[in-house]
Amino acid sequence: MRKLLSLLLALCLMLCAVSAFADVAADVEAGSAMSHDELLAKAKEETGKFVVAGNTSRIADAAEAFAALYGIETESNNMKDQEIYEKLESTTIDMVMIQDGANLLDYIDAGKLYNFVPAAVKDAIPENDQQPALIHQFINKLFIYNNKGDSVPAIKNVWEVTDPAMKGNVIFKNPTTEKVNMNFLVMLTSDAWAEKLAEAYKAWKGEDIELGEYKNAGYKWIAEFLANVTFIKSDTTIAEEVSQDTAAGKIGLFVLSKLRSSSVLTDNLTVAQYDATANGYTVEPFAGFMYPMYVMVPAAAKRPYTAMLFIEYLMSEEGFKPWGKNIGAYSSNPSIAPKEGDLGLDIWKANLVIEDPNYILDHIDVEDFITLYCQ
Amino acid sequence: MNISRMKGKVRAWFSKPANVILLVFLILLTVLTLYPLITMLLETVTVHLGREARLAKLPVGSKTLFHFARLFATSENKYSWITFYQPLLNTLAVSVSASAIAILFGGTVAFLVTRTNLKYKKFVSAVFTFPYIMPSWTLALFWETFFKNVMIGPKTSNGIMASVFGIYMPEWFVYGGFPIALVLGLHYAPFAYILIGGILRNMDANLEEAATILKTSRMRIIRKITLPIVRPAMLSTFLLVFASSMSAYSVPVFLGSPVRYYVLSTTMKSLMDSYKGQAYIVVAVMILFGVGILLLNQAVTNSRKQFTTVTGKSGQISKINLGKANRPIALLLVLILLLVAVVPLITFALESVIIKAGDYSLSNMTLDFWIGKDTTQWLDQGDSTGILLNPKVWSALGNSLGLAVTCSVVAGTCGILVGYGVSKRRGSKLASWVNNLSFFPYLMPSLAFGAIYLAMASGIPWLGGFLLMALAGSIKYLPFASRSGVNAMLQLSAEIEEAALITGVPWWKRMIRVIFPIQKSSFLSGYLLPMVSCMRELSLFVLIVPTSNWLLTTMLMQYSEKGWAQFGNAINLLIIIVVLIVNFTVNKLTGASIDKGVGG
Repeated sequence: MRKLLSLLLALCLMLCAVSAFADVAADVEAGSAMSHDELLAKAKEETGKFVVAGNTSRIADAAEAFAALYGIETESNNMKDQEIYEKLESTTIDMVMIQDGANLLDYIDAGKLYNFVPAAVKDAIPENDQQPALIHQFINKLFIYNNKGDSVPAIKNVWEVTDPAMKGNVIFKNPTTEKVNMNFLVMLTSDAWAEKLAEAYKAWKGEDIELGEYKNAGYKWIAEFLANVTFIKSDTTIAEEVSQDTAAGKIGLFVLSKLRSSSVLTDNLTVAQYDATANGYTVEPFAGFMYPMYVMVPAAAKRPYTAMLFIEYLMSEEGFKPWGKNIGAYSSNPSIAPKEGDLGLDIWKANLVIEDPNYILDHIDVEDFITLYCQ
Repeated sequence: MNISRMKGKVRAWFSKPANVILLVFLILLTVLTLYPLITMLLETVTVHLGREARLAKLPVGSKTLFHFARLFATSENKYSWITFYQPLLNTLAVSVSASAIAILFGGTVAFLVTRTNLKYKKFVSAVFTFPYIMPSWTLALFWETFFKNVMIGPKTSNGIMASVFGIYMPEWFVYGGFPIALVLGLHYAPFAYILIGGILRNMDANLEEAATILKTSRMRIIRKITLPIVRPAMLSTFLLVFASSMSAYSVPVFLGSPVRYYVLSTTMKSLMDSYKGQAYIVVAVMILFGVGILLLNQAVTNSRKQFTTVTGKSGQISKINLGKANRPIALLLVLILLLVAVVPLITFALESVIIKAGDYSLSNMTLDFWIGKDTTQWLDQGDSTGILLNPKVWSALGNSLGLAVTCSVVAGTCGILVGYGVSKRRGSKLASWVNNLSFFPYLMPSLAFGAIYLAMASGIPWLGGFLLMALAGSIKYLPFASRSGVNAMLQLSAEIEEAALITGVPWWKRMIRVIFPIQKSSFLSGYLLPMVSCMRELSLFVLIVPTSNWLLTTMLMQYSEKGWAQFGNAINLLIIIVVLIVNFTVNKLTGASIDKGVGG
């Protein structure tokens, strides 16, 4: 009898879940046309705790401010992006802030995540930054080096870090555990970037590049770069370590916004692109890379309207504050300016490698090549 | 044989509580071990959404042997070698070494404590279990923090050894296979200490005295008499530590990744992100090892009597006089234990109060990471208040304690029941099966165990969160409880229960009023060990926890991975303190202790 009851209950729950999924799609569709007040009204109607998950620690601050503003009980979770993808269906999450556009595309296609663009910002944000997924912000990882000592690695050309003399002096987070790092390296094998790398090689060495067994200049750079890299397991730690007085001669490729920590001795660090802009040169062919963080509504969301309200909030200047008050975060909403002293999104887009999810999905096999050189 | 006769036999069989218990547990354990296993094996032949589907170029959900071919037989870019075979070799190397170290260190100390007149015995035996109580990676964290220097690894900063003492350890000492094996060996040395010490403590002195009278040399006595007696315990320890080391995840992450030394567990975790099919294949391989170990243990221990039934009947146990060597050996031991058990605690405390790394002056210290109301002035990330004021930490502590208590109650009670059943029907096939089944979960690497429960739960919507973790934890720690339950029951003679049986006392009353009170401390140890293990467990729960903030240990892992050193060290210290308090309180109140729990 009890078994029958639990089976019935499970069936009912599944039916409810299925019907709930269908509802969320319709809700998101409807929400795209609603005004702020309409969204707010709908959000207040929903019950239960509002749960958000994001790949950023500052989502806690945004969630707190949101909760205070609208009086909606909110729970925030800082999880790794792969964890979020994994737990999308088994845990109740109403809204996600997530990275790794390549994976995201597949999840959107499979109907596990829905894209919501608030009416308030639809016209302001460039088309590519809102379809097929709304970008909340861009995050950059840059070449940043220690400026103390005699042999400062003040690079003007990325091939400089592949020099055998730099072995062990280049610090990077292991691509096999950080998908956005992997995506960056994969992008370098595209024809556009391979060409730029070949030109940069010529500018550096004065002779044409010899590919040998490598398929293009991108592969060659990846192999030689990874040969010189020492892996450290977190970008925060990389920032701290490269900034130490004892770390003269070291250069890292890590998240710019980590410089906001007091434990990072920022006086000892120079950001290659900042130096380049200030002194009128360019780091050839790129000064680092950039990737988007997206905001999406999961198909299993229990409070879709609240999620949409939160997304609208995050896209506003007020909602962006937890990230905007430091360097290294750039809203996709052009009306929100970056932190004073930082460079604008246009400069970054011109000097950094940006991930193209479609290219990555078509070239998954390149990841094997990269993994080989991570050994 | 006619029907009524059969009915009679069946009824008689079912009237014995021991039979019913064994049957119930046989079914329960089979289901709870086999069903998740089968679900997981299905995952190894299914195509999952995301990069896996793209790579396989097959529709999501379809069945295929692609993952097997990819993991075992892909030579392009040396994929199979890098992802599977080399990590497998590394894992075997590390696990064998860790077991050897554990036995050597734990066994030697056990011998010194039980059979010699070593000084400071109380200190040694009190502190020796510390490494087990501390989460294994805290020792790894301490190792790196202590020994790192600018000549090795990332070469960016100096740890305490280099900056305070000026000693620069070489790279192979700080990162890679050697420190991984050493840290794991030290972490599991308490097992060896308890198991081997248990035998040595109860050894009949007459065995050695006969040899002494015949003027046999001390070394020969040790070689020919003492060692063979402890050999079964050494083998048990070896197998236990081997299985645990195979599953170790966080230690290789901390000490192996900086020098690109990968093991099966680290490779499994990174595969789990995007290539689930292959990840589950690695899990299956780990489980195969567990089965192999169980069979090996079976084959070796089958022919002997249970060594733990040799109770202390001998009179005076003659202790070896260490003479002049006593003080130096004792001091050396105390020094090692201080380094391994106490210094890490001090390091965590220190690291949790400094602002800028490497600066240990008072001006660089603050208690804000513990009790500060606004830590954003130091670190604009992580949490904005000190951990003791952070509701997330308290809720994680509550969850960890709640989970530990639940698992220990379930595992402990089941352990007593299994112990009752197995001892009453000892020698029968049913008892032997249940005994083995109840021990099997221990030999499955924790990470693998968590993975198969994850696979199982993804098909059952209502099984998640706390329920799933409690289930996984209870089954995983059942072996501890059932071992102590079986050992405790085997020590009881049958007459004790028979007196109550004759006067018609129902079975449950016999258990509660007669059996439990007599072996109280052994039974309670069966509750204590799961509780302590659960509080500091990471690999079992890391895959099935709803979010990383749910348990103290997963929270700690997340903080360490993000490099939020101060919060991480503070939480680490908090976990250890809580576990020590729990251990101490239960010990004082009930006499239960971890050593009785392991079966010593």
